[in-house]
Amino acid sequence: MVSYVLKRLGIAVLVAVTVSLITFSMIYLSGDPAVALAGETATEEDIEQIRRYYGYDRPILVQYADWLFRAVQGDFGQSHYLKKPVGDVIFERLPTTMMLGLCALIFALTLSIPLGVLAAIRPNSLIDRVALTIAVVGQAMPSFWFALTMMLWFGIYWRLLPITGSASWANFVMPSIALGYYITPGVMRLTRAGMMEVLSADYIRTARAKGLRPITVLFKHALRNAIIPVVSLAAVQFGFMLGGSIVIETIFAINGLGFLAWESIQRADLPMMQAIVLVLSIFYIVLTFLADMLNAWLDPRIRVA
Amino acid sequence: MAVVDTSAVDARAAQITEPSPGALLRRRIFGHAGLMIGVTVLAVIFLMALLAPWISPHDPFDQILDRKLIPPIWTDSPKATWVHPLGTDQLGRDYLSRLFWGARISLLIGFAAMLISGVIGTTIGVLAGYFGGKVDMVANFIITTRLSMPVVLVALAVVSMIGSSLTVVIWVLGLLIWDRFAVVMRSATMQVRNLDFVAAAQALGCSTPRIILTEILPNVANHLIVVATIEMAHAILLEAALSFLGLGVQPPEPSWGLMISEAKGLMFFDAWLIAIPGTALFLLVLSINLMGDGVRDVTAPDGRS
Amino acid sequence: MKHWLTPAVALAAAAGLWSAPALAGKADDTLNWATDREVAVVDPYYNNTRELVVMGHLGWDALLFRNLDTGQYEPLLATSWEWIDNVTMELELREGVTFHDGSSFGSEDVVYTINHVVNEDNGVLTIKNVNWMKSAEALGPHKVRIHLAKPFPAAEPYLSNAVFIVPEGHYDSAPAGADGKKDFGAVSPVGTGPYKFVEVKAGEYVLWEKNGAYFDDSPKGTPQIGNVRFRTIKEMNTQLAEILTGGLDWIWDVPKDQAERLEATGQVTVENAKTMRVSYMAFDVDGDSGQDFFTKKKVRQAVAHAIDRESLTRNLVGPASVVIHSACHPDQFGCTQDVPKWDYDPAKAKALLAEAGYPDGFEFDIYAYRQREFTEAVIGDLAKVGIKANLTFLQYRALRDLVWEGKTPINHMTWGSNSIPDVSAITSHFFSGGRDDPAKDSEVIALLAEGDTTTDPVAREEAYKKALAKVSGELYWLPMFTYAKYYVFSKDLNFQTTSDEIPRFFAASWN
Repeated sequence: MVSYVLKRLGIAVLVAVTVSLITFSMIYLSGDPAVALAGETATEEDIEQIRRYYGYDRPILVQYADWLFRAVQGDFGQSHYLKKPVGDVIFERLPTTMMLGLCALIFALTLSIPLGVLAAIRPNSLIDRVALTIAVVGQAMPSFWFALTMMLWFGIYWRLLPITGSASWANFVMPSIALGYYITPGVMRLTRAGMMEVLSADYIRTARAKGLRPITVLFKHALRNAIIPVVSLAAVQFGFMLGGSIVIETIFAINGLGFLAWESIQRADLPMMQAIVLVLSIFYIVLTFLADMLNAWLDPRIRVA
Repeated sequence: MAVVDTSAVDARAAQITEPSPGALLRRRIFGHAGLMIGVTVLAVIFLMALLAPWISPHDPFDQILDRKLIPPIWTDSPKATWVHPLGTDQLGRDYLSRLFWGARISLLIGFAAMLISGVIGTTIGVLAGYFGGKVDMVANFIITTRLSMPVVLVALAVVSMIGSSLTVVIWVLGLLIWDRFAVVMRSATMQVRNLDFVAAAQALGCSTPRIILTEILPNVANHLIVVATIEMAHAILLEAALSFLGLGVQPPEPSWGLMISEAKGLMFFDAWLIAIPGTALFLLVLSINLMGDGVRDVTAPDGRS
Repeated sequence: MKHWLTPAVALAAAAGLWSAPALAGKADDTLNWATDREVAVVDPYYNNTRELVVMGHLGWDALLFRNLDTGQYEPLLATSWEWIDNVTMELELREGVTFHDGSSFGSEDVVYTINHVVNEDNGVLTIKNVNWMKSAEALGPHKVRIHLAKPFPAAEPYLSNAVFIVPEGHYDSAPAGADGKKDFGAVSPVGTGPYKFVEVKAGEYVLWEKNGAYFDDSPKGTPQIGNVRFRTIKEMNTQLAEILTGGLDWIWDVPKDQAERLEATGQVTVENAKTMRVSYMAFDVDGDSGQDFFTKKKVRQAVAHAIDRESLTRNLVGPASVVIHSACHPDQFGCTQDVPKWDYDPAKAKALLAEAGYPDGFEFDIYAYRQREFTEAVIGDLAKVGIKANLTFLQYRALRDLVWEGKTPINHMTWGSNSIPDVSAITSHFFSGGRDDPAKDSEVIALLAEGDTTTDPVAREEAYKKALAKVSGELYWLPMFTYAKYYVFSKDLNFQTTSDEIPRFFAASWN
């Protein structure tokens, strides 16, 4: 077990370093960052001044080494635009996006797991067809369209929910649904497949044969085993959602990490973009690492693989 | 429903006559309602795209500013006219013609991005699955690195920095979404390579590329098709999201994602403007997904998963 | 180990989010306005966005005041001013004015402000706004002298729009950034203006409250509304939804179609007002881009005749927009429309193309960054005479790089002149031989230099007119139209739109 953990950990760190290198070099696609920074009305002298000020006149490798050395210590430098330490700004925005991601995940799980279970118990029944329809429709609908349609009905016509902001719980209802609906199909399919497999397994038949109540069999034996892959999928999807909340946060003017990312892209705030991509990647790496550990703990066969 | 009924009859017939495997497969294909619907809708969209130059009532680029925003014929607006059955857009271009031509671009994006990602992902996956060991470790590392980078964020950042065009969008998406190909192909190849006929080919002294091309690939083709449909749909939706943020295909090219994006400003007032391309996009993605599900069901007859 | 890497801490912080929503509008005496831009730095020198120009006039005062009705300059923080020679100006300052922090306003504040901003080491973002000045010195407690770096006829427009006065020592408390340099933008805003800064949350809002002690005889008037809150809302649909449901009181830059439909709802006030921004197309006159079609004047003429600027203006921009023929805004000093004009005439365009050797047209790349639909309309018009234009739509900075490298056959761009009502802010910017200059025409360069440094208004106008006539006659630029902005605001709000893209919220009131 220890060697497995260490091996996975080593890979995770290596991946993180690789991602940091890709992230850093990707930023230089835009050409001269000083020009990007100077803004619309800048002259040549402004730009030259900015180039010196931010150290863009140094060799790129020196800049990367310097950046990585500081990043490891949690210092991502100053945001060009916000004029604040990047780490502080990200910490300020992260809770909002985490909250959004969690609400979305809760919505997705409460919708998809029961439907997946019901669909598995009664394959090809009406409920299975409904679940399938929800899954297929969810996969085919652009999330921004869904979000704007909700805003039109719940926000403007019926005035049931606030349209923008992150001030109260009501602000999170529409964005959570819009974001969560997108991952519903995957979770539902996995739950259904897992349940069907488990329900046909020998130990469930044995349990039934022993005369245990169907409900007990279903929840105590079947669901508990079928849920394992769903948990790791959910962990991974949570990581995806943090990165994918750009569109939703933009529409609902939620001041989270996704919105910050989109703003930073538009104003070419390079240290901020680098840090956000890196933080989200590391978040994802940590989540997958934890999911791996969980699986290994639950299923000893994995450890030796 | 007629299709389903036939299948029931066929199933009964099958028990009596014990038909050949090929005939069984044909029956499963034609008996699968989702697959048939998906293929039919996709065929219609494909024909629209193919025949766009001949069936379009107008030039999709021909703008007449004084005739802009004519509503479609089913609205009771006095401006509605059969000259423009689906109305005209913000620049007075015929919406029906743009819809036909837009089918070309949306299909092209989906197909080309899927092709690029398919080549990358399949190469990585098959090599990893076939050789195992060190190759597998490296492949796993590459896949994990790719998975840990948030797709939407990276795509936006790259496109915003190098400027967006049809080609850029296709390449960026293609280079980003190969992960599923790699993961699925890897595990499928692992299963196939241990089978007898591969060992037989190896014993006969066949070259490795030949074994991969003639023995492995044909036997994992069904998985390949399923992933291909998922990624094609994925690419089309991602393009729509990029277009929504203004970084997708550039006008005046009429991609459906772009039509939605151009119409979004009026969605609270002229809902038809976004509903038409939105529905088209929805049907396209839906049909591709149905087809993918169908292929999976038909090739893995133990129930869909 | 940095705390923000631990999800548990972030989650704990997230729990703090659950608080009551804020009210808006007339009910709580707060004017809520929004744009799609995030404001983090609240300082007009260290944030060069339009939002900070607007807030600059809210929180600070300039030395002079431009009366938009008369076009004349009136006293604001300076009560009178005179030119000693063409590089020296003396100003008498107003007495009895106090800053928001309670300190009183005098010569030392003006001297401090000017000497701070003209020093290039202090990193003012739009250095061009201030570097025409060299230094300032106090001649008495309420009298200052400004030394110019060069003769600068447009001093008054800049003094009234771009030079805001901060108290002496204001930037001395600036914290050092991570790089050890002082971060002047982080200083809490203090000015003399009609509104006082309360707080900023980057990406969400900037809140201002009424300055009850604002001096009585200010030409800016006495502030009426209790609070003014700027909000960042990226998505136009969301802005529309909020203004329809009362969450916002004021938005602008609403596209024409949406504005017309909002007006039809009868729930909000919709106005179309002029701006100083103009749209133009610049040709690659010397063929640097590798697509040499536009080195031929006949081809440029054909393009000019092919584009129906009247229809574009009428159908897409708005009623306050006008077609322009010279490379400047009609409201700017020195701008004349008495230059060669190119009317919409597609037949003539086709004939010219044939003469130039392109009877079947040609294909080229057009670049743009703003209002995609305007450029799309241009592309549509060009298609009708057989020219196929492929659009590359970029962010401003990316496009400007390409323009500077000479890589754009045609770029369709805009220029707002920083709201400076003087031709030097546009024509001289683009045609004085710099990187933005598509032609580098020595005659134009000389004429503009003459106009920029002469103090006699008639001589300036004469020089500029010759330059503008050459630019339009040779078609280095095809001037397109002036921008018009749609403003949408609450029926509760009494608000006057202005032609310079600077909404005066300090002059607004509730109906």
